[in-house]
Amino acid sequence: MKNLTVSFSPHLHAKESLRRIMWLVVLSLLPAALASVFIFGLRALWVIVLGIISAVIAEAALQILTKRKLSVSDGSALLTGLLLSFNLPPSVPWWLVVVGSFFAVAVGKQIFGGLGQNIFNPALVGRAFLMASWPKYMTVFSQPVGFRQWMSFGEGGWLDAITAATPLALLKEGKPVAHLSYLDLFLGRHGGCIGEVCIAALLLGALFLLLRGYISWHIPVSYIATVGVFAYIFGAKTLFSGDWLFHILSGGLILGAFFMATDYVTSPLTRKGQIIFGIGCGIITAVIRLWGGYPEGVSYAILIMNGATPIIDRYTKNRIFGT
Amino acid sequence: MIRLNEYKEPQHEIASVRFSNPSKLYLPLSQATGKPSLPIVSKGAVVEEAQIIAQNDGLISAYLHAPKKGKILDIGTWFHPVLKRSPAISLECLKEEKTYTENIKVDGLGKGELLEIIKKAGIVGLGGAAFPTHVKLNPPKRIDTLIINGCECEPYLAADYRLMVENLEEILKGIEIICKILAPKTVYIVLEDNKPRAYEGVQRILETRKLRIPSCELVILKTAYPQGGEKQLTFSVTGKKIPSGKLPFEVGVLVQNVATCFAIYEAVYLDKPLIERLVTFAGDALASPKNIWIKIGTTLRELFENKILVFKTEPDKIICGGPMMGIALDGLDYPVLKGTGGFLFLTKHSLLGEEGPCIRCGACVRECPVSLMPCLIDLASRKNLWDETKRYGSSDCIECGVCGYVCPTNRRLVQSIKRAKLEKVK
Repeated sequence: MKNLTVSFSPHLHAKESLRRIMWLVVLSLLPAALASVFIFGLRALWVIVLGIISAVIAEAALQILTKRKLSVSDGSALLTGLLLSFNLPPSVPWWLVVVGSFFAVAVGKQIFGGLGQNIFNPALVGRAFLMASWPKYMTVFSQPVGFRQWMSFGEGGWLDAITAATPLALLKEGKPVAHLSYLDLFLGRHGGCIGEVCIAALLLGALFLLLRGYISWHIPVSYIATVGVFAYIFGAKTLFSGDWLFHILSGGLILGAFFMATDYVTSPLTRKGQIIFGIGCGIITAVIRLWGGYPEGVSYAILIMNGATPIIDRYTKNRIFGT
Repeated sequence: MIRLNEYKEPQHEIASVRFSNPSKLYLPLSQATGKPSLPIVSKGAVVEEAQIIAQNDGLISAYLHAPKKGKILDIGTWFHPVLKRSPAISLECLKEEKTYTENIKVDGLGKGELLEIIKKAGIVGLGGAAFPTHVKLNPPKRIDTLIINGCECEPYLAADYRLMVENLEEILKGIEIICKILAPKTVYIVLEDNKPRAYEGVQRILETRKLRIPSCELVILKTAYPQGGEKQLTFSVTGKKIPSGKLPFEVGVLVQNVATCFAIYEAVYLDKPLIERLVTFAGDALASPKNIWIKIGTTLRELFENKILVFKTEPDKIICGGPMMGIALDGLDYPVLKGTGGFLFLTKHSLLGEEGPCIRCGACVRECPVSLMPCLIDLASRKNLWDETKRYGSSDCIECGVCGYVCPTNRRLVQSIKRAKLEKVK
């Protein structure tokens, strides 16, 4: 008889794997990626592809350098690159994408020991770094080019596009936003980061993940509802009259709540913990948007709550059966 | 609890056969929870079928009988599925077989006499834990609720199911005896909805005639794993949570497996000790799966040498028990024990993929039937942080294997938690 394998139970295994999860999350982001190309033209695609390639190369290079096992095929670096590019304005210079991706993978993830060990969402670490280092590129948003022009790269190069403030920036500066309908916001017909603008496409992907059970409603719903409640109460000059729907549909809230805050590694383990996490994200986002210096606070909110995850885990342990 | 792929076909519908002519038997002295039995025969002695060859050592221990007439070859060391090697009595068997006939003088027996019969018959829990039945049936607290466990929730295994289909009358007689001992207020016969032939049989009997049992109810649960575990079953049926570290009798509940009920029937009505049991042999490496009545102590090798079992392909893994909690073996020399419900012969699909990092997906946390956080116990256990594993409740782990089953990165969670449990014992 050939050699028998003697291993510990269980000897059955569900047909679920890390690779499958990562690739399905990537798949769920495809509608938003396609929408961004439709809205901002091919330069959006260029940023996305560059983001992905540089994240994957950064991960492979670091793993080779530190003599660790190569694990780029699990799709997690690809996902980091994709999410980072989603958080960039379409008009960013190419090197910014490369630097951001490298920073996200190196400092956001590998420095902690690789996948599963990092405290903060790697893509958001990359974005925060770029925001702090090159704010002038990170806060210039181009006008949607629209369908007729979507093939054009912009004749004069990367920075020639007509700039347009994001809805939240307009709000912060006290400028009129009446020209933006909810439908405009829902479909993404306004300036913003590549992957955040088209709410319709994001919700499509989110629905897929929810139905397949890869994410649960706990974080996104508690997060979005908290922002909505704060915006309604404090979002206008008088209390209880804020435009909560405008706040929910603007900025990176939908992208952040469904695809970034739900990152397994950096969010709490239990459902109870996830609700606390979501509410925390919502409060910080609302505080930054309404009273802070930045028009948008999603990425900082999630990063801060990432830091609080271990302590949330500690105080939301499951009650053991029979205790 | 989760729904597993059950792999119960085709063995669910394969009628049992009997293999009663082994040439040699190997009878480990450790067949039950508690102390090993003490041999009372010596090398070279000729023993009759059903003769006691080893007796209790203390309260939690079980009698051991000769499953066949034969000569004691040796009292030495032999393979043991759990202990790897352990003291065992080996027996060279003769062809003769004893016949057992039903003794009808059962009615006059009282509680004490029945318990003594069960003790002398060497009966242990046949669901796997092999706890001596005479101890279990004499709990320090009053039992209100008797739960008869016919769930057999491990995939592949079909022995209990076949027993319920083929020997239901005897099982019910066994239940009547248990009721005589415990006098419970209510009896629940519990099956899962993947065993329609078995529960329809119970239903028919309950409708047509009155059993000598107080109030008896058939409960059909939605199939789930690990519903056959005592704590899970008690909760599913009565809604009572057995306190951490305690046994079911603390909440007035006692759980007995159907095969144990059958063994009690045989002991009391036939005067036949526990020397034989129904075992499922299944898996994709076998030409055809079988449910076999087999003498305790028969080795796997004997079954293959006698062509009772035939390999279709060479197995990559041989498992004693079910695929979720069973123990992988390294050869064919292991004997059937009293608590063994099945042996599996599996090919490559049973080999676990390479282990990856924990991505904190929380699948193990959500599915753990005792609400532990396996991924956190695992991380602490790997760092030898035994205080921390204890705080996370590692001792409440029932080792059902659900966490390892659902983990997307193939982490050896049960192994790691088991290590923490053993470390605490040291």
